[in-house]
Amino acid sequence: MADLETLRQAIIDGDAKTAGAVAREAVAAEMDALTVIQQYMVPAMDEVGRRYECEEFFVPELLLSARAMKAALEPIRPLLAASGAKPAGKVVIGTVKGDLHDIGKNLVASLLEGGGFEVIDLGADVSPQKFIDAVQSTGANIVALSALLTVTMPSIKMTIEALKAAGVRDKVKVMVGGAPLTQQFADQVGADAYSENATAAVTAARRLVAAG
Amino acid sequence: MRFQLISCEVLFREMCDAVAHSPHQVDVQFLSKGLHDLGGKAMRVELQKRIDAAVGCDAVLMGYALCGNGLHGLEARTVPLVAPRAHDCIALLMGSREIYAEYFDANPGTYFRSTGWLERGKGLQQLSMGKNPIGTTLSELVERYGEENGRYLFEEFTRYQQHYRQLTYIESGLEPDGRFEAQAAAEAAERGWQFSKVRGNLDWLRRLVNGDWPEHDFLVVPPGGRMAASFDEQIIHIEGSMS
Repeated sequence: MADLETLRQAIIDGDAKTAGAVAREAVAAEMDALTVIQQYMVPAMDEVGRRYECEEFFVPELLLSARAMKAALEPIRPLLAASGAKPAGKVVIGTVKGDLHDIGKNLVASLLEGGGFEVIDLGADVSPQKFIDAVQSTGANIVALSALLTVTMPSIKMTIEALKAAGVRDKVKVMVGGAPLTQQFADQVGADAYSENATAAVTAARRLVAAG
Repeated sequence: MRFQLISCEVLFREMCDAVAHSPHQVDVQFLSKGLHDLGGKAMRVELQKRIDAAVGCDAVLMGYALCGNGLHGLEARTVPLVAPRAHDCIALLMGSREIYAEYFDANPGTYFRSTGWLERGKGLQQLSMGKNPIGTTLSELVERYGEENGRYLFEEFTRYQQHYRQLTYIESGLEPDGRFEAQAAAEAAERGWQFSKVRGNLDWLRRLVNGDWPEHDFLVVPPGGRMAASFDEQIIHIEGSMS
């Protein structure tokens, strides 16, 4: 029998090996995938987020926990799909054109995946057209834009304007983030949500989906 | 006039030269380059402390660019607060934000080096107290997080470097010899990037300490005013106004 408490702890500790192993045991024991995820794995990531918020955890710990979460999700995911469970939402994510920084974006992508979202990661230095194409081809309901430099922040605005011009802005919610961004900037460019850090991004994405 | 210059140490040589040639009396404080790594908020708190402590001068000058919003929210107390309208120190070293913008667009994936970037701020990671992983070495990560996790983190933290293709050395003209350029070229070779050199222009920094502050290049915040990022061509403005 898989020890799900160990799974929870392994995710918090950032122990990918143990997390993956226990998840495989759970799958072998035919445990209910949704229960395992919702009662153990998601709460583990929520705890990681809480520790990050109160500065017990920092970016390295977040990355390790997100990786452990991924390792645990891998064997469980096929079961989820088979059971017809839908992802929390579909997110197209990328660092905007001109900006090559992707640590923050990768972290948000991992945490969103850990939070039950399907994530389409377009990478860094992504042109507005690529975002448009991805939204159209995947039917995503959220577009997440990242920038680390104040120099490239205008690219966020350009991307949102391009989404509008292409007629897809109304089909998606846009969330923005990155170290130099502020709520004020997000309002100025007409984004639907801004988050100050990676864990808040997951909360923001859930809220956007809930708001429809 | 008497100015108090609060500057990032990354501009050390350039500022010393500018101050030496200024018609005004300029007191200088250089702050650690590591401040930038703390993020905009923490940087602002530290800068504000220095501004608050600056008394007995006619203006406080910021030897900083917007730097990831590190200047956002700074308040002028009893004397004006002056800052160049630049995104980062690379623009300051190039002497114009237009030249920087052109270079940035024409040379995607470029890392920049200058004398300050090469000789200053080393070993200052302790300032961020492990909160900022950039610059942490593989052995430090392995020691702290174990072999497997440490290697994974190192890969994650350095992956962005794969997107870079070029390293550009900004020559100030103040260098004693070719050592800085050689060091930058060696770094480019080590990382497998193309090496390039541009001649910087110290005019912007000189005007800052000379008290020559045209609207296009500088923001002058009057006493009691607050500086804010404007997210447009102006880069910074006085909160509550359009200038």
